[in-house]
Amino acid sequence: MRLGAAGTLPLIVLWALPLLAAVLTALALAGSGAAWSGFLHHPQAAGGMFLAVWTGTAATVMALGLAVVMAMALHGTALWHRMPLLSGAALAIPHLAFAIGFGFLIMPSGVLARLIAGGDAPPNWVTTQDPLGFSLTAVLVLKETPFLLLMLWGVMAQGDAARAFDGQIKAARSLGHAMGSVWLRVLLPRVLRRMLWPIIVVWVYGVTVVDLALVIGPTQPPTVAAVIWADLNDVEAAVNRRGVAGAVALIVALAGIAALAWGFAKLVTPALRRCLARGPSALVSLVKPGRVVSVLVVAIYAAVLLILILLSVTPRWPYPALLGQGVGISSWRQLAAAPVLLSIGIAAGTAITALTLIVLWFESVAQRRDRLLLALAIMALALPAVTIAAGQYHLLLRLGLTGTVPGLFLVHLTPVLAYGFTVLSGPYRSFDARFVAAGRALGASRWRVWREVKAPLLRAPMLTALAVGFSVSLVQYAPAQLAAAGRYSTLPMEAVTLASGGNRSLTAAYALALALPALLAFALSAAFGRPRWR
Amino acid sequence: MALNLTRRAILQGAAALPFVAVARAGDWAAIEGAAKGQNVYFNAWAGSETINAYIQWAADEVMRRYGVTLTHVKITDAAEVVRRVRDEVAAGKSGGSTDLVWINGENFRAMKQGKLLFGPFAESLPNFKFVDVEGKPTVLRDFTEPVEGLESPWGMAQLTFFGDGAKVSKPPASMPELLDFARSHPGRVTYPAPPDFHGTTFLKQVLLETAADPATLGVETTADAFKALSEPAFAFLDQLHPYLWREGKQFPPSQAQLTQMLADGEVLIAITFNPNEPANLVASGRLPASTIAWQHAKGTIGNTHFVAIPINARAKEGAQVVANFLLSPEAQIRKEHLDVWGDPTVLAAAKLPAAFAAELTTSLAPGSVTAPAPALTEPHASIVPLIEAAWIERYGA
Repeated sequence: MRLGAAGTLPLIVLWALPLLAAVLTALALAGSGAAWSGFLHHPQAAGGMFLAVWTGTAATVMALGLAVVMAMALHGTALWHRMPLLSGAALAIPHLAFAIGFGFLIMPSGVLARLIAGGDAPPNWVTTQDPLGFSLTAVLVLKETPFLLLMLWGVMAQGDAARAFDGQIKAARSLGHAMGSVWLRVLLPRVLRRMLWPIIVVWVYGVTVVDLALVIGPTQPPTVAAVIWADLNDVEAAVNRRGVAGAVALIVALAGIAALAWGFAKLVTPALRRCLARGPSALVSLVKPGRVVSVLVVAIYAAVLLILILLSVTPRWPYPALLGQGVGISSWRQLAAAPVLLSIGIAAGTAITALTLIVLWFESVAQRRDRLLLALAIMALALPAVTIAAGQYHLLLRLGLTGTVPGLFLVHLTPVLAYGFTVLSGPYRSFDARFVAAGRALGASRWRVWREVKAPLLRAPMLTALAVGFSVSLVQYAPAQLAAAGRYSTLPMEAVTLASGGNRSLTAAYALALALPALLAFALSAAFGRPRWR
Repeated sequence: MALNLTRRAILQGAAALPFVAVARAGDWAAIEGAAKGQNVYFNAWAGSETINAYIQWAADEVMRRYGVTLTHVKITDAAEVVRRVRDEVAAGKSGGSTDLVWINGENFRAMKQGKLLFGPFAESLPNFKFVDVEGKPTVLRDFTEPVEGLESPWGMAQLTFFGDGAKVSKPPASMPELLDFARSHPGRVTYPAPPDFHGTTFLKQVLLETAADPATLGVETTADAFKALSEPAFAFLDQLHPYLWREGKQFPPSQAQLTQMLADGEVLIAITFNPNEPANLVASGRLPASTIAWQHAKGTIGNTHFVAIPINARAKEGAQVVANFLLSPEAQIRKEHLDVWGDPTVLAAAKLPAAFAAELTTSLAPGSVTAPAPALTEPHASIVPLIEAAWIERYGA
């Protein structure tokens, strides 16, 4: 496929330009000095900023650590080859649903308290909404570990890379490295470099997440994202602008921290290199801790899923009862009227469109141009969803696209493509160019080489990107809500409005309904993504 | 202030001139005629299944009776609609996305001040003659803001507390009693963090109950004056907070979460603005039958919720027909039934035809308020941002 610059056009027109225009529109809204001074003098700004950065950063470091330890335990086992399905099952559960289920596990009136503390009244545990946000961090860790594990797998297990890594492991082993030393000195340096963008996405998501912070995060002050969210939802236009100023301040803070981290990494790299280059060692791999962690994570997910299922059929479940009082399917009955088809249609459409645009881009321009796009993608995922949504909305309003299906499609495409790009760029760009060269040398056209050599080898990561995009599209709330202008309703819009009434049973039912199509997508991606030769 | 009133009076008079003509019966027929076939997008909070079901019933009825299609646009907060209409009008979009919105309080005030509302229309709706304007003054003053026919009353609300009668044997009937209750049940009482609507209302209730002269709260207030005015309220909160859930260092972010905490047994008292919500929650199985609801003996803040038509609505006639139907004795009586919604009517029983008046007697069910207290007028709207900012300053970080 020789496409040249023309191949980049669809992506630029359908995604990059609307995104840039939306961001600029949003920034223009924040352009007043009063908004800035208002935010800087907000009594919750400083504390909220600290909480957001602390919870998001701690969660990312821990999730990465857990993902690596789990990979050590799972690499080379039968489960390793099932990774898209395993991680996908975890990814399919929407963050908010997980937070609700996990919250009901650990809160003072929750399942654990009922099992351990008992008594007539709940204990005075400070397990959810704790002032330092430990419970929020825990949810983020649990929810991001499967994503990072899947990314790690995507880098290591994809077609030719898998064989390259196998070769490196054999070479290192024969040089006398124990398996732990192989991971530390050979695998991780290569793997982590290619996971940089997914790691950043996870970090930015953790720092800027709103819905989780509202459900399980601290409140006095809440994280800065929740402070901004409250401002953006205020009825006063001046307070809205203060919220936008806050959102920009949050991005500046993120960029500053990222720059600091980059400088620090530059500083310690030589020392790290010396340490890594120091001969073979008997360092053992963390297989046993990895197994324990894996079992724990799976157990927690199973518990959360079970809790969600029970909650969805239980109107009332007061302390200290171990089981809910009465069974009712009224929550599920209400789902009958849910706009499932529209949501699934948009999700499938945007996921396929995004993958097509991304592959066209990869085949059209050199890798060094990716940086621009990655920066945009990070921006799309870094700005609080609601800020981008506000910009997009004003843009669509001017184009007369609010309340239309094309408008809805465009706002869903933004995060779907951003995720798809960060997920796929590592595996796709590390594809061994010699395969293509060999194919071309044998006289095949570029298109044929792509179709018969490259695409089959990259099938697993491409299908993973599709499934991730599909599940990302399914849970979009803020942008869809604004762009739909009341003319269309998607699953999360229904779920969030119903959840605003605090009916946990109904929320759980909706959460499960949102998880099912995503789960199916990951299952399909896993089934069709298995390499041919295995 | 005086100048404002004058200008308002002039505007009102000018606006009313063409309107008097529209209000004639023949013209209402013209409005009904124009409404036929219109699609009315009704933006209404959708957090309650019972309310959603009621709106669906209304949609079926207006289709059957007037050929108007009513689409319920489910939203979480009316502020969303205020922003959307403001943006649409600013972008010069004439055919707006909203035809009717469920609204009151600061959202109404923002739309009125932004000149984003169609009307006046409310007082010329044929069914407005049944409205209890004498007995329920808040149908004409929404959070102290004169309604001036820009929104049509839909239902009544009053701050109400509820809990499990098996655990709360003597419900606190005033703020001092609530403090005593919290002292003897440390960690089992809390309120939603402002600016949650219910949290702010709780603060306003504290203001009213602690003020030396509640009348001082009924007028436009400056930041300086508010400091002195709010001193007793914050002194009370300082006393109360150490006995609250998490020692008053964390608060649930919403009323919905507070209600869930009550259902789980984590707190003993929750609050609502719909006196019939507790009975409703019992009926739907989310709270036990031993649930009780009460109001503070000397009264709690009461107000009215309305429907309004944005200035850029496409189906203005259809929206008026729907607003009129929502005011009809039949629709109001049905709405008040505890097994339907339980939202108190804005109509006066005395003004209704005898057949309807008989149906408008309050029925009691488990969770109902058994001894209703008087409804108190909201403090002046200018106090809301002041008390929210002061609260966050003191307790927010």
